[in-house]
Amino acid sequence: MEDQIAKASYTPSAAVSAMPLPPYTSKVKVLDKYHIIGFISSGTYGRVYKARSRHPGTTGEFAIKKFKPDKEGEVINYTGISQSACREMALNSELAHENVIHLHEIILEDKCIYMVFEYAEHDLLQIVHHHSHPERRLIPESTIRSILWQLLNGVSYLHQNWVMHRDLKPANIMVTASGEVKIGDLGLARVFWKPLAALFNGDKVVVTIWYRAPELLLGSRHYTAAIDLWAVGCIFAELLALRPIFKGEEAKMDSKKTVPFQRNQMQKIIEILGTPTKERWPSITQLPEYPQMTPFKPYICSLETWYQQVGATNKLGYELLSGLLEFDPVKRLTAQQALEHRYFTEGPKISLNAFEGSFIEYPHRRVSSDDNDIRTSSLPGTKRSGLPDDSLQPRTKRVKAGE
Amino acid sequence: MAANFWTSTQRAHWQLTREKIADMRRGLDEEDTNKGLGLAFPLPDHKQLQLYFHHCLQRLARRLQLRQQPLATAETYLKRFYLKVSIRDTNPYLMLSTCVYLACKMEECPQHIRSVVNEARALFQEFIPQDIAKLAECEFHLISELNSYLIVHHPYRTLMEVQGPFALKLSPDEIMAAWSFLNDSYITDLILLYPPHTIAFTAIFLAVFVRPAIHTQANLNASGSTALGMSTAAGAGGSIVQPSVGQNAAVPATSGINPQNPSSARLSQMSEWFAESGVEMEAIIECTQEMISLYDAWETWTDKVCRESVARLIRGRQLS
Repeated sequence: MEDQIAKASYTPSAAVSAMPLPPYTSKVKVLDKYHIIGFISSGTYGRVYKARSRHPGTTGEFAIKKFKPDKEGEVINYTGISQSACREMALNSELAHENVIHLHEIILEDKCIYMVFEYAEHDLLQIVHHHSHPERRLIPESTIRSILWQLLNGVSYLHQNWVMHRDLKPANIMVTASGEVKIGDLGLARVFWKPLAALFNGDKVVVTIWYRAPELLLGSRHYTAAIDLWAVGCIFAELLALRPIFKGEEAKMDSKKTVPFQRNQMQKIIEILGTPTKERWPSITQLPEYPQMTPFKPYICSLETWYQQVGATNKLGYELLSGLLEFDPVKRLTAQQALEHRYFTEGPKISLNAFEGSFIEYPHRRVSSDDNDIRTSSLPGTKRSGLPDDSLQPRTKRVKAGE
Repeated sequence: MAANFWTSTQRAHWQLTREKIADMRRGLDEEDTNKGLGLAFPLPDHKQLQLYFHHCLQRLARRLQLRQQPLATAETYLKRFYLKVSIRDTNPYLMLSTCVYLACKMEECPQHIRSVVNEARALFQEFIPQDIAKLAECEFHLISELNSYLIVHHPYRTLMEVQGPFALKLSPDEIMAAWSFLNDSYITDLILLYPPHTIAFTAIFLAVFVRPAIHTQANLNASGSTALGMSTAAGAGGSIVQPSVGQNAAVPATSGINPQNPSSARLSQMSEWFAESGVEMEAIIECTQEMISLYDAWETWTDKVCRESVARLIRGRQLS
């Protein structure tokens, strides 16, 4: 070894030293492989485009999610990949289930990340919107049962693999043209095989406020996968009512970035579910924000009345809903228990096509073809039109720690 | 899947055979020779370099006060990456810092890119570019070569689990020794070759049957506190980076491991447990041999040759 080093101690030949490394270039070019049909939507992460493969053997359509890099002036620089993009890349590469959106490939090109997903024509936000505009028409029960069962099936798979989604909401639940439900956006998801260093320390705020579980509102630091089931309960309620069940107003973070107590959101929950008591939820007294509960005036649970008012009739559906919207996370139904609920096992067999037997024509996802240049950096102010935009919902602030 | 090794990308794509690994390394070496890089920039053999990179990673992890799990993930990334890309085509210091940066995000203990660059510069000086964009660019290269398979299953988890339901009664000393063997296993190719539980069982086997000699000597005082630290930190994804068996063997002329004389009752209890657990003893013996050959190499290893040849490489190819 020493000998070898000694021999080589001459200056390396000019030919070799004159070949410093070229910058990173992708082996695969997104435009070589895909034809961009048009622009679908934009969010805080970047933009989504609809695309077709240029490869003759690859059929079907794709949704390409482009993560925008941070810009310093006009020049785009490498700044480090955000933690949510990292999570989404890693988890989507690892997971494979019929009710979780399938990741086709990832292309890292020109300082941008392109995640190529299977395309889904609909999402629950759009379906709910279609049933509430221009006039209110209930979603057929067979569709709701199928959507909910498939959603729970996907959540159950995630939880069996110790993945918490942490951001379930109608906009993140896709439905394909053939009625298959696909859980998307794993940007906030994380593995919880052991209660890691207080989950609280990572992302201070998880779950869009309307779907946020009471234990999170009360500042629980060691929350569990049960938070996803609360969100499923809220989504179930929204499919029935065609509007969010707990539509609170978000209290913004103050300048010190302390997370405020979401009083209004808690108020909305209590108005329907009643005031949580120590008897109903024994561990509530140990939660950090419990003292905030004292000023609330006592309410009794009126969920059953709410259920009738929105036009739902299935008694078993009410039972399932109240099992999901259970205050105490320990008593709340797990995904597996919910799947075995009589709401699904009794009555007509659940179809794996949410649209089976339904004659409702849902509008296709709007794709704007005048903006199909995936290579240009995102233009400000371009929002999904014709639909209630995601960004109009109170959006939780994601702590961008990876940058 | 995320928490199931059997359906993981690690098992499907990153569990290789010895022959495959040797082939991949030979392929990279041949390419370097053809390009004239091999002759211009000679490097110590990969065992020496693995020891060197391990030490570099460990020093960086300590500066950032990382726990064992993100460090282990970073070590795994670096190993996988250097099976696909020649060391001579990279700035190894920048590369290993990038592995730490990405591993921290994946293990949910993110570090700001600026602090990773700053701490790396404190260790590797001018070899780390001040511009964070360089490390961020390197991250793209890393993820691309890893095919975005970023979730790594580690043996630490098995070690923590067998103490519970399996009722394998390991003493605190044995747990600490096993833990140290696991830390050292990342210098070898074991994480590329075997499922994590096989590596964990090897560490337990070594801890019980061939305990580190040093453990009874210089490190007795330290062991109490680290073992304690480990049990409390275990739930939080592993303890703060600890010294390893090999490093403890700083006492001259001591090999990392020496045969122990556990009581015969203990021996039969352990043998029974190994038999019942259904692990392949053959694999454990192979892993043990790998570890022994590591400690052999370690005894004569110094970082000087590696440091100098890496410096010559980075300067010569203007990689910093």
